[in-house]
Amino acid sequence: MVPRKAKDYTLRELMVVEGSRYVKDGEVVFVGTGLPIVATMLAQRTHAPSLVFVVETGPVAPMVEPIPMSVSDPKIFNKAVRLGSLRDVLGCILQRGLCDLGFIGGAQIDRYGNVNSTVIGDYLRPKVRLPGSGGANDIASHARRVLIMTMHEKRRFPPKCDYITSPGYIDGPEAREREGLKGGGPDRVITDMCVMDFEPESKQMRVIKLMPGVSVDRVKENMGFDPIVAEKLEIVEPPTEEQVVLLRNEIDPENVYKTR
Amino acid sequence: MSPVEGKVMALKEATKLIRDGDIIGCGGFSVSRCPSAFAHEMIRQKKRDLTLVGSNLSFQMDLLVGGGCVKRCESGTGNLEKFGIAFNFRRACEKGRLEMEDHSHLAMASRFLAGEMGLPFMPLMSWLGSDILQHKQPSTEKKFTMIDDPFNPGKRVCLVPALNPDVSIIHAQKADEMGNVMLGGCLFHEVEMVRASKKVLVTCEKIVNSKETRKNPQMTTIPYIYVTAIVEQPWGAHPTSVFGYYDYDGEHLNHYQECARAGGEKYERYLNEYVHASETFDEYLEKVGGTQRLSKLRTSRRQIKR
Repeated sequence: MVPRKAKDYTLRELMVVEGSRYVKDGEVVFVGTGLPIVATMLAQRTHAPSLVFVVETGPVAPMVEPIPMSVSDPKIFNKAVRLGSLRDVLGCILQRGLCDLGFIGGAQIDRYGNVNSTVIGDYLRPKVRLPGSGGANDIASHARRVLIMTMHEKRRFPPKCDYITSPGYIDGPEAREREGLKGGGPDRVITDMCVMDFEPESKQMRVIKLMPGVSVDRVKENMGFDPIVAEKLEIVEPPTEEQVVLLRNEIDPENVYKTR
Repeated sequence: MSPVEGKVMALKEATKLIRDGDIIGCGGFSVSRCPSAFAHEMIRQKKRDLTLVGSNLSFQMDLLVGGGCVKRCESGTGNLEKFGIAFNFRRACEKGRLEMEDHSHLAMASRFLAGEMGLPFMPLMSWLGSDILQHKQPSTEKKFTMIDDPFNPGKRVCLVPALNPDVSIIHAQKADEMGNVMLGGCLFHEVEMVRASKKVLVTCEKIVNSKETRKNPQMTTIPYIYVTAIVEQPWGAHPTSVFGYYDYDGEHLNHYQECARAGGEKYERYLNEYVHASETFDEYLEKVGGTQRLSKLRTSRRQIKR
């Protein structure tokens, strides 16, 4: 039976659904709070039941529920096979090279997928002090693939980050290899307007899919640099009814992550 | 080495072991197991010029920054995630009143790991190609060094120095009168940090008899030889959560964040009401609703049950 497409959904919900599509069954997935956790919880309840949830505070393979407010929230420890430490997960899983997919977000993302979550303005006298790396630099350094989820706003896509907290492709092709980074770098950037990958030759951000009803012009107007645009643009596939019901009734019934 | 007796103390007495200018290892992570009772008492005792180190410094750090105790932080982050950034921390950094030396969480765990094993440094494969390598606070002598891997020439390795705090403060589920500590749930960076520290002060939900420890030694997370003081302080991590005991108090966290965000007089009022005008942490607990209200946090979420 072909699953029925949902008619009623928000772009944020679709963003979560699209994020979940990049999580493959059986993969070791490193997640922080925010929309990535919603996307990973959805994947775990649909096509990827045997994904290995890993969170930086130390839980290994939990069945996360109900929706947590923090990576230290007891709800994120639910039915884990081990409750370990930062060293267990950031060291012995991530740096060890066992993480397939990591999610990060940030205040600024540049054309090479470098992410800033540290400061806006000067480092020593910041205009805005942000939380800092946390585990994000470690994820960006070591995960085989990195997914970046962010709202699509001009200030979030500057030509250059004020501070590179988490390296993407740094300044272009071969830069990660030059620096000695083992992880594969950013795979996709998922926003509420589009999905972008990184053009293989230049390692620069490239629009490949649009959210339904969003034009390329609108995507570009809301960025501080001109992204590459793929010759053939796809439209992001709408969610199924099942996915929307899961999000609204089971995963985040109180709308903690404001997806609707 | 460490004595077997005389470690059980009152909060006041234990906190007196902290000296101005000390490097303080902070237990807790985001909204979980923050040593709130210690933070309150440190503010009351007017500790000054502290350097706070940890992984994610959150509620405990923001209180101490707001209370005027801190000159520097070394950590991976300063935030309470969904409850927002640490607002006193943000403001103090932006006004140049607080130095924040940025690390990643793995880097902090690695530095404590070197510290607890008596090693001078630890190799780290994070940070490469990032600005964590490009910027440091002027007062930091050497944040890291890069070497060529001696076993695989041509490969770059980052070395980060060991970190041995003067005093670590943590809140545990249980400890015994000898000083053996039983942590439950996730351990964050705490085991490595504690074993790297010169002094270790522990508040716990419950003090148990060491005869029980000797029957179930596998339950001991940290043996007594590292521990200086044990304080029985139920709800000592409030408003953050303690796995197996209680959930975080979202209502109070939101109230705290509102005051911290506003800063100035509004934050001073918070400190006066909850910290300065309380002789003990138990008095504070009465002010936030006492056992009747708090007991709801024990049962509100099935996930926190033992």
